Amino acid sequence: MKRDRRNFIKLLMQAGVASPSFMLMSPSLSGNVQSVPVEAKYYEKLGEKKIKCNLCPHECRVADLERGTCGVRENRGGKYFTLVHSNPCAVNVDPIEKKPVFHYLPGTKSFSIATAGCNFVCKFCQNWEISQKRPEQVKSFTLSPAGVNMLAKKRGCRTVAHTYSEPVIFFEYMLDCAIEGKRRGIPNVMISNGFIQEKPMRELCKYLGAVKIDLKAFTEKFYKEFCSGSLRPVLDTLLVLKDEGIWFEIVDLIIPTLNDSDTEIKKMSKWIVKELGSDVPLHFSRYYPTFMLKNIPPTPPETVLKARKIALDSGVRFAYVGNMISDAENTYCPSCNKLLIERVGFHSSIKGMKKNKCKYCGEKIPGRFN
Amino acid sequence: MNISRRKFNKNLLSFLPAINMISGSGSGLMKRKRQSIVIQAEPGSFIRINNDVNMEKVKKFLDKGIKKLTEYSSPDEGWRSMFSPGDKVGIKLSCLPGKPLSSSRGIVKAVIEGLASAGIKENNILVWERSNRELQNAGFPLSFKGVRVYGTDQYAGGGYSSEIEFSGSVGTCFSKIMYEVDALINIPVLKDHDLSGISCSMKNFYGAIYNPNKFHSNNCDPYIAELNAHSIIKKKLKLVICDASRIQINNGPAYYPKYSKNYGSVLMGTDQVALDHTGWQIIEKERKRAGLISLKDAGREPEYIESAVKLGLGENRDSKIDLIRI
Repeated sequence: MKRDRRNFIKLLMQAGVASPSFMLMSPSLSGNVQSVPVEAKYYEKLGEKKIKCNLCPHECRVADLERGTCGVRENRGGKYFTLVHSNPCAVNVDPIEKKPVFHYLPGTKSFSIATAGCNFVCKFCQNWEISQKRPEQVKSFTLSPAGVNMLAKKRGCRTVAHTYSEPVIFFEYMLDCAIEGKRRGIPNVMISNGFIQEKPMRELCKYLGAVKIDLKAFTEKFYKEFCSGSLRPVLDTLLVLKDEGIWFEIVDLIIPTLNDSDTEIKKMSKWIVKELGSDVPLHFSRYYPTFMLKNIPPTPPETVLKARKIALDSGVRFAYVGNMISDAENTYCPSCNKLLIERVGFHSSIKGMKKNKCKYCGEKIPGRFN
Repeated sequence: MNISRRKFNKNLLSFLPAINMISGSGSGLMKRKRQSIVIQAEPGSFIRINNDVNMEKVKKFLDKGIKKLTEYSSPDEGWRSMFSPGDKVGIKLSCLPGKPLSSSRGIVKAVIEGLASAGIKENNILVWERSNRELQNAGFPLSFKGVRVYGTDQYAGGGYSSEIEFSGSVGTCFSKIMYEVDALINIPVLKDHDLSGISCSMKNFYGAIYNPNKFHSNNCDPYIAELNAHSIIKKKLKLVICDASRIQINNGPAYYPKYSKNYGSVLMGTDQVALDHTGWQIIEKERKRAGLISLKDAGREPEYIESAVKLGLGENRDSKIDLIRI
């Protein structure tokens, strides 16, 4: 598909790409407020005021007055508390395509929130200025789960997205928002690294609408050296999502020389097809130098396109590229290859679908499109 | 005291091998360089009353200690050999557990007096910790003996530099205070630590970075060592005075009365590794006396000390540490 310059810029502006997402500064949000600590849901007491956190696979053992690796959970006298419940530091309205989530209410806005903290240290983190900080080091707001969903509705958002940093570490807040959202008909979406234990993930699945998981590479080495995490628990989370039947998509950020080999991408794609099914959308994103990884140049677009082709050849039916302008952002019917959804930047328009089917050949397209 | 050019050069040359340890920046130079020195007050020297120690007694100990450390005949000369009158000096405290187990006010006051004898003006002294709340909980009001007292968090935007600094595998941002001051004095508290084994001098700099939680893996090893290998600490840290008036021998770093002991000592030195090693031996001895298993058996021997030796930060061999008891 050809686009002229004028049309391209117009589309970008419609999508809000030309300027960063705006931070909501509603009177109902008050700045620099620390919320009241809320007792964490998944931990066990070890005696002598020590605890073991059972939220994520780090399983931090935390002594009194200390915090877990996430930096947002603190042991106070033998009880473990989250310090970020109802305490977001980022509140924006984004297109859901920005997450990226392509097969779940495309073309709609998502009320996007995040708190400080993360259980990984990805050396290439785009949002390190909130994800790597403690709650007291960022400007934050008080916003209750009910307030989140009310504001989402007021701003015309179909969903609430827990995003930017790592929602696993604000689990209790996300869970309460999702419960409230389900009650009000506003599905909540989790944008995550998937580094979470099975039990809390299964509990979340009861209330969430969709999940996006960053599968950052397909080697333990990469996870250890560049994320301070591990791969196996992320794969386990994907298997849980499949088992729960919740809608989910996967993103792989391709970084030159670190995780871009044909072999690794093929192995990952084959695993996805075999274990999760060929209908799970797989996004390959282009990396840009940032945070602690500035010595590697941006991923060449052809590398990202090649990764997509490997995925398609491996049996993935919906493979996309991201962080670059390309026709490979569009959704094509896997049966007749006709254009179904056109995307430019974060703007999308449905071209060839009737409800959740290809209007040309009737092929059912997985996801939620209504 | 006048130092001739020849003597100055001689002193300078003899000082160079110790350059990886703490360096003096004062008008003179520290004389004694033969090996790592740790000055220890005899246990029981300082009785802790109302969570504090007697400032006069501490001052006398510091004066003697400074003379031993620098080999100057007067404490004033000793202080001046380490600090210049124009220096902006940051005194880093350890205040996480609150009054019962934080840096004693008496020690801080004695250090301020010592700095005054080096000609440093009160408004060039900054007593600091991670947060105002921690300082106040530990009994340090925001104006203390005429010097400024505040936490990193008093700066707008969180108080940490936006520049990522590297020393080893984990990146971090330092407190803006670390850049604001010319010289640092570290006043940690000797205590057991649930992960690193002990918390003494080097661990206290976790309170100077924005992401200490990312430095706790693998019992903080080699992260404590790597952090202290950063040039900002190596260049600016001039003196460590470790508060061992009350120590905690188990279940740290929070205060736990069952495992705390009025030890009544203070440690002093310029080699952080030697200090941490000495502190570790004290903790082990007191654990044994209390019938507790060794830190090794508890699975948290402070291996970061050996990592610090490998990074050239100091000395941990007993035969190379000159432990002087006063």
